[in-house]
Amino acid sequence: MPDTKPATLTINGRELELDVPPFYPLAVVLREELGLTGTKTGCFEGRCGACTVIVDGETVVACIYPVGLAYGKSVLTVESLAEPTGPLSSLQQNFLEKGAVQCGVCTPGMLMTLTNLLERTPQPSEDEVRDALSGNLCRCTGYRKIIEATLATAEAAR
Amino acid sequence: MTAIGESVPRQDAEAKLRGTAVYGIDYEEPHYLHGKILRATVPAARIVRLDTSKAEQIPGVLAIVTAQDVPGRWGFATVDQPLLADGAIRYEGEPIAAVAAETWNQARAALKAIELGLEPLDVVGTMDEALAPHARLIHPDWESYEMRPSFPREGNVATVVELERGDPDAGFAAADVVVEGEYHAPRHHQASIEPRVCTARYEDGTYVIHTSTQVPFGVRDGAAGYLGVRPSDVRVIVPTVGGGFGGKLLPTLEPIASLLARKANRPVKLVNTRKEEFLSGCPRENAVIRIRTALSKAGEILAHESEVLMDNGAYGGEQPFVAGLSPLIVCSNYRTDSIRHQTKLVYTNTPPTGPFRGVLATYAVFAVERHADEIAKTLGMDRIEFRRQNLYREGDKCATGQVLEGVAFEETLDRVEELAPWKTMTGSKKPYRGVGVACAIWNTNSAPGGSTIKLNEDGTASLTTGATEIGTGAIAQALPQIVAAELGVSVDDVFVSEPDTSVGLFDGGAQGGRTTYMAGTATKKAAGEVREQILDVAAGLLEADRGDLELSDGAVLVTGAPDRKVSLSKVARVAQATDGPMVGSGSHAHPPIEFESGCISGSVINGFTGATYHTHLAEVEVDPDTGQVTILRYVVAQDVGRAINPQAIEGQIDGGVLQGIGYALFEDLRLVDGVCVDWGFGTYRLPTAADMPEIEIALVEVPDPVGAYGVKGAAEAPIIPVAGAIANAVADAIGKPVNSIPLTPFAVLEAIHS
Repeated sequence: MPDTKPATLTINGRELELDVPPFYPLAVVLREELGLTGTKTGCFEGRCGACTVIVDGETVVACIYPVGLAYGKSVLTVESLAEPTGPLSSLQQNFLEKGAVQCGVCTPGMLMTLTNLLERTPQPSEDEVRDALSGNLCRCTGYRKIIEATLATAEAAR
Repeated sequence: MTAIGESVPRQDAEAKLRGTAVYGIDYEEPHYLHGKILRATVPAARIVRLDTSKAEQIPGVLAIVTAQDVPGRWGFATVDQPLLADGAIRYEGEPIAAVAAETWNQARAALKAIELGLEPLDVVGTMDEALAPHARLIHPDWESYEMRPSFPREGNVATVVELERGDPDAGFAAADVVVEGEYHAPRHHQASIEPRVCTARYEDGTYVIHTSTQVPFGVRDGAAGYLGVRPSDVRVIVPTVGGGFGGKLLPTLEPIASLLARKANRPVKLVNTRKEEFLSGCPRENAVIRIRTALSKAGEILAHESEVLMDNGAYGGEQPFVAGLSPLIVCSNYRTDSIRHQTKLVYTNTPPTGPFRGVLATYAVFAVERHADEIAKTLGMDRIEFRRQNLYREGDKCATGQVLEGVAFEETLDRVEELAPWKTMTGSKKPYRGVGVACAIWNTNSAPGGSTIKLNEDGTASLTTGATEIGTGAIAQALPQIVAAELGVSVDDVFVSEPDTSVGLFDGGAQGGRTTYMAGTATKKAAGEVREQILDVAAGLLEADRGDLELSDGAVLVTGAPDRKVSLSKVARVAQATDGPMVGSGSHAHPPIEFESGCISGSVINGFTGATYHTHLAEVEVDPDTGQVTILRYVVAQDVGRAINPQAIEGQIDGGVLQGIGYALFEDLRLVDGVCVDWGFGTYRLPTAADMPEIEIALVEVPDPVGAYGVKGAAEAPIIPVAGAIANAVADAIGKPVNSIPLTPFAVLEAIHS
């Protein structure tokens, strides 16, 4: 008998039932089954961080995270940060204003890591921001404006 | 013209931030097939058997292609490269066959079912091995290859560049002091976070290719060359590009996907894995630079002699052209009229090397600036004093004898001095702390370009160009700012279409800092044409003299009479009804430069266009126990001609400097006997947020006579002086020369104890 445990999980607040093998990478399920292509894949080796999403309050690299591990949990992707027709989140707006986006392919993963950081540590130090970014590679920006945008977001929330 | 010089946000930022921007990796066509490439797992072999019959039986496989499907070779300079290996394997990672199947797993299964028989060949893995007497020729038929234009070459030497001017022998004979140095630099991988990816289909006799490229017209020409069709039979369209840095200049996946698509009669998508990126990625070449300088006691340069070896890998690509830049940079920065130079580009059984931001200048400037510090030390001169005395000044000649105008070395040195006074920085030397400076002159790529602008019926403007946004902001910021300034509209009311080679005018591509310089200047011309038409129509409508009109806030106004105005929307509608839709186009090529012809051979680059000037300063601390280098302070003064968008340029400087820090301290794509050791981010470490020091930036604006508003290239250059500045700082810190990069902890410890 196949495992009959229902493959349900909540993605960006919507409960979904999936019909994919549990070992499929979450990033592939998000991008190819659900059309949530905001989650980017840069390496499929869990090192560039472009595919970072939040699962039950923890950041994971979705390219090497089996979707089965997310059953019964809540997954948040970049598409959850702002309503499609609504304003950008404060962090997104600061990225835009500070010039923290260049090619932008690392941006969704950066946003998820930093959104998670600001939830856990609403007033991070610059070193805490740098530490949080240790698993997110950006080849364009030199990170400086990303760090500035994060600190500005924290400052505005003070 | 308020839009010029303003740090307006990127037009594409919001889509990128929401995750709705469609990149090459996101782009899909209905019922597309998954392509995969069978790549060589050894660096050198003869192919004695290639049998795809079993692979063809795998369910879901719709096409398999080998060299039989695509005979012949192609190349930007030397026509030396087959699309799929043709009887010989010349590098690990070389494509041998490709398949297209309904699913990724079927494609992978088909690859495994291809039967390949190989006879190993001796691996010519290094330049020393390739140049040894009786070395095995990597291209035994090299003499039969066409080369356009024909440069000197022989056997494993893919091209030779030579320059001689003045009387170097007399200079060395008269010298009080001769300083010599040898410098080594590693392979350096572009490592854009989005890998190379494309989707191709064949439709009504045309190959339609959506690809993540920096140079759509180059991909068009390369694909057409391989496919044996006219360039116009290939249409290249560029979705959002997830980084390039030179890695997406050459056609690689596109002709293979096209071939599969035609054979399968379905769209085919090819995506490189990260390992494929590293194996086939055309990284910056490893190189050896030797410099000898003849000097008087007073620090005057009497003669300069230099030699460069560049590793080409297995195939030429663009490298024979890039090599032509070598004398301009290696024999550079410092005034002298007696020069002898040779650069050899050497074939090896390694992945082909290629353009990476700043091409050879990253190591050429590292060598030149390490050498300058060694000269100053030998002469007992202060390092800045030597530079101020000898750096190019207005009217000096560069290596090819071109007379330089708008030289801005002095300005960049002055701006660095303001931020980090040299005497203060070097006055009280602490143990294992050091300060280094590096200066550079760099070229703005002047390949031509064109733009078309239409004025829409609602008073907005649409810009069509073959120029491509790869993340720098040249298309997402600078070009719309130029249109907005010329037409008096909001930047938000300028729409830029995605590059499409069947629609946009030719453009030389997002490379060499040229987009704002060349496509921007073409765009200003196009906007100027539209502006003239607007003024004609508005003068009639307002019954005013053209000379009294100004364009502002989406309207045409009579100067001094604020209530006499007409909206651009009305102008557009009236023009459309009377003369037809309003359109303007602008084409731009750089005027030829003057140099001393006959002094250089093997090069099509005979001087600088849009030359920019740079001074970087680094302060470092070295841990004597671990060899770890920490950058305490980093200062950049960069001549940009005119800053169209200062925030965007700062972003380019930040990113370029951090790439340079990776190059100086740890990035090194290692090969052992032609086999790539670093094929993932696990061992090829990219700089992280923790590696980024505080950076202080000063923009210097010495206008260019050709570029719109005086603009010059800004995005490429900031990577160039970094390795030189850091190496000079490390040498200062430890009191020993460091002439090989990267300066890993091991290398620094070895230098300390040498």
